[in-house]
Amino acid sequence: MPKDKPTLELLRTVGDTFGAHPFSDEDLSELVEPKLGMITSFKDLMDELDQLRTIDLGALPPALEIKTKDSTSDE
Amino acid sequence: MSDVTEVCWLTVRQLSRALVNGEISIHDLVNVFLARAAEFNPASKAFIDVYADSARAHASTLAEQPGSGMLYGIPYGLKDLIDIKDHRTSAGSAVFIDNIASEDAHVVSQLTAAGAVCLGKLNLHEFAYGATGENALYGTAVNAYDSSRLAGGSSSGSAAAVAWGLSPFALGTDTGGSVRSPAALSGLVGLKPTYGRISMRGVTPYSWSLDHLGILSRDVRDCAVILQTLAEPDLADPGSTNRPTDHYLSEVDSLEDLTGRSIGVPRQFFYEHVDPEILSATERVISFLEKKGATVREVETPDLNFSRTVSLTIQMPEALSFHMPWLEQRAGDYGEDFRTGLALGQQILAEHYVRAKRLMTHYRTQIDDVLETVDILITPSTPIVAPKIGAVEVETEGLTEPVGNAMMRFTNFFNTTGHPAISIPSGMHSLGLPMGVQLVGKAFGEASLLAFAHLINSQWQFKLPLPKIN
Repeated sequence: MPKDKPTLELLRTVGDTFGAHPFSDEDLSELVEPKLGMITSFKDLMDELDQLRTIDLGALPPALEIKTKDSTSDE
Repeated sequence: MSDVTEVCWLTVRQLSRALVNGEISIHDLVNVFLARAAEFNPASKAFIDVYADSARAHASTLAEQPGSGMLYGIPYGLKDLIDIKDHRTSAGSAVFIDNIASEDAHVVSQLTAAGAVCLGKLNLHEFAYGATGENALYGTAVNAYDSSRLAGGSSSGSAAAVAWGLSPFALGTDTGGSVRSPAALSGLVGLKPTYGRISMRGVTPYSWSLDHLGILSRDVRDCAVILQTLAEPDLADPGSTNRPTDHYLSEVDSLEDLTGRSIGVPRQFFYEHVDPEILSATERVISFLEKKGATVREVETPDLNFSRTVSLTIQMPEALSFHMPWLEQRAGDYGEDFRTGLALGQQILAEHYVRAKRLMTHYRTQIDDVLETVDILITPSTPIVAPKIGAVEVETEGLTEPVGNAMMRFTNFFNTTGHPAISIPSGMHSLGLPMGVQLVGKAFGEASLLAFAHLINSQWQFKLPLPKIN
């Protein structure tokens, strides 16, 4: 479900409120209205992350060390 | 040697034989590449720093103490994320412009122990953020086949150095395809081994969960030689596996008849919106493998349409975590694009980050299952040939996307799964630019992966002409 478009004020509040680095309005504006082309759309990213929440991962843990079926030396 | 101008195009093994046979001295060999770098670095922008004095001094030391091994006396270049003691690691950024390494990276120690000679540090996208290799501070490394085009990135200088004949091989890093993509676009071999196979100690991190050290070389056999040296477990690196290495070099020639072997072709996603000539070249490689006796089977992969989002959701919070101390002090020294990426990292919820890391497990498990049914997967390395410098978007068979996204579209998924993957040349595009195919193997199955890759790479029909640089 698409969410509201993030606003500059909202993003600024995160840095101000949650003990995080205070990025400049210029940097945060790039997330709201992209001009550089690297972050093509923060809003799209958020919408995709929202869709990823619908995948049932059960109790699958975050990625840990790579194991193979014949692996014994990593234990 | 009869013609020293040919030396710069020889493989590591050919150079090693020339040294052993006394056809050239280590000192002269190093000087060939230093002279070459002096002549062509202004055009290629491959090197950030050339270590002429220390390389010559190292060559003299090696000549006085004759050693053995195929890397003894062989010059190489390092992506400027990799530490070499008493030299600057700038990471391609003004932020680290005064950052002098106090120790060698583990991979540098291994290469030094093997007798390899470091020629200098190679250009990159700032802090390895970005596929284009564009760098405002040092200029943009350009493609050896067409200097109006990108060499690829983020290991742009590593690809350019080898492709321009300034170094026999180079090391790079690969977080989303930053070794394989520039290798494909520059007509080289680029290997990203299994996650944890090569130590990352002494390498400036970008994203710990996805970073891999990689090799760019002229052919697959050279890649096996170098991997044999680098793959030793490093107990001091928490991310390094302690799984024993295989005999990559002795196994690289082991495949001829592929009867009983199977090739997986994931047609969904990896064969969509691809330059038709790249697609045809990939199909020719598949046909070759089939003629050699392999069974070709279409396989299904997970839904990959969000794989870039998963990767980005992991990359940016991790990058922000590493960069926080410098961001507090020197925010203005960061490139605008990277600083924006770090700002994005701040806005990703912990819930999303952890979910993305769990999706890594999901992806990894699913590819493990696919690789239980086939020996390797084969895809195009990139959907496009080297883009023009400055291009922002590219249209490929109905899909318009940012250039950087296109360059990593088929590679970044295998950083999330951690499987070993290699790009090898598949032919020349009618634009006179290299094309590549990507082979993906079982976790820690580099020996088998290299053997398949060498079988293809050693065939004349997949050989590329040298770039016309002079």
